[in-house]
Amino acid sequence: MNTLLQIENLHASVGEKEILRGINLEIKAGEVHAIMGPNGSGKSTLSAVLAGRDTFTVTEGSVTYDGRDLLSLTPEARAWAGIFLGFQYPVEIPGVSNVNFMKAAVNEQRKQRGLEPLGAAQFLKLMREKMAYVEMDSSFSGRGVNVGFSGGEKKRNEIFQMAMLEPRLAILDETDSGLDVDALRIVASGVNKLKRPDNAFIVITHYQRLLDYIVPDVIHVLYKGRIIKTAGKELALEIEKKGYDWLIHESE
Amino acid sequence: MKANNLIFAPALKQEFRCRVPLKDARQVFLVNGTVQGAGAPLAFRLEEGEQLPQMLQLIAIRSAEGPQDLSFSESFHFSRGSAGRIILCAHTFSLDPFKTVEHTKITLEEDAHAEFVVMQNEHNQADHETFYEITLAAGATLDMVFLSLHGGIIRNHIEARLQGEHASCNLSGLYLTDGDQRMDYDIRLTHEIPGCHSNQIFKGILDDRGLAHFDGLIRVVPDAQKTEAYQANHNLLVSDTAKAYTRPQLEIYADDVKCSHGATIGRLNPDELFYMRTRGIPVTEARVLQQMAFCNEVVDKITSPELRERMQVLVEKRLRGEFSRCQNCSKNCC
Repeated sequence: MNTLLQIENLHASVGEKEILRGINLEIKAGEVHAIMGPNGSGKSTLSAVLAGRDTFTVTEGSVTYDGRDLLSLTPEARAWAGIFLGFQYPVEIPGVSNVNFMKAAVNEQRKQRGLEPLGAAQFLKLMREKMAYVEMDSSFSGRGVNVGFSGGEKKRNEIFQMAMLEPRLAILDETDSGLDVDALRIVASGVNKLKRPDNAFIVITHYQRLLDYIVPDVIHVLYKGRIIKTAGKELALEIEKKGYDWLIHESE
Repeated sequence: MKANNLIFAPALKQEFRCRVPLKDARQVFLVNGTVQGAGAPLAFRLEEGEQLPQMLQLIAIRSAEGPQDLSFSESFHFSRGSAGRIILCAHTFSLDPFKTVEHTKITLEEDAHAEFVVMQNEHNQADHETFYEITLAAGATLDMVFLSLHGGIIRNHIEARLQGEHASCNLSGLYLTDGDQRMDYDIRLTHEIPGCHSNQIFKGILDDRGLAHFDGLIRVVPDAQKTEAYQANHNLLVSDTAKAYTRPQLEIYADDVKCSHGATIGRLNPDELFYMRTRGIPVTEARVLQQMAFCNEVVDKITSPELRERMQVLVEKRLRGEFSRCQNCSKNCC
């Protein structure tokens, strides 16, 4: 299997404060990696740095994605290359409808890949098909992006967008937070439908529960900006039972 | 002059094909401020109960070459129970520097209903100062949308007086500046008797060294109880050198009223921008989407779908830095 993402000794700061302190991670096509860890360990920072958020400064290390230096790309160029970030707190954009938002995104990505833009009928067909993935009502398409959506609806919208854009590497930042059991099942089944041998997922979560639905190949535990433990899926159950203290103790 | 007495067929220079006329509108050209250049100022009047079937589009053009200033006046009288929709457009033939001063009187009798869309799309050396004098009698409703897209210095003075119970005055405006353009709105709206309603929403996007002043006063005279009056002014600065000044004011001399005003000067939301970029929308396109969203609150007030769509296109072109000239027009007004 070929390596899709290679993170080496990644350090990142916000202002004077160093948050990522030497991350090493390799992800191959077809894999699902889960990242767990206590609050403030740097999970969301890692996802934001991979997506290109400029509030964080990379001070050391490298990220290679599909043979390219990821860190030199703009956020949009990362999306064109197939990276997708599912936000922990999806942003509301009043006045921009879901349908216009998605049309701009899909057609720009097609353009970057040398494809013709989708016609109106084709596009709406695609919207309908992908909305069905996450059991989203079609009335959402005319509404402002995430405006007035419940927490669960916002997360479904993230998975819907992912389905529309078909990324090669999807990073889902606490997509399960704030979801009830039904929404969790819908979101997870959306992810599972999109799994292919040539794409990969990074699933950031606090809870073992999500990993019952989206079964990871590997689990990493992040603590104080470093990965302190990497193991198989059974690690999640152990964390659920015993918390993080024993891992932190072990690593120190 | 009654609506059906106006001369609709323009005898104009070939190079100026103002636009493909709206299907739902009749065009009248005001050449140098008078109907077909015939000398008399426009005095438009709807008789009692008269309903104007189509929109009336008045296209004010300045045909003179050279820098002479232009000053003219016009009036619109809506008799009791009449209704009509008017579009006021300003254009120029030449690219000379000059100034236009325009006085417009709008009078609505009881239960009349008027809709106005004012389109200001001139070139960077064309200054335009307008004075609107608006009066509303009981039960009359005025919906007025200003779109200031281009001009050197544009100053709009609006004085509106609500003089009869249940009169309703809704003023909206959008102003977009770049280069060294300046656009000012100076609004005095007076609730002279109880039980009237007014709403104002004015929004601007300022780029380069663009400048805008918003000065809005709502005055509620003594004992004009049950007044409802709202005013909002929002400005987006998209460069480091653009400036906006806003002065929302309420003067209330009654105690049983619902009034509010709010003003903001801000920048594009960086979280929205990042979110769109992570979906592959390039930063320049994301900014246009954000700005269109900002503008739509005003453009959406235009009730005619045909006109609204056309204005959306002009606004979008403007935000993309393209010439926001009308369809089929050979003139670069801006």
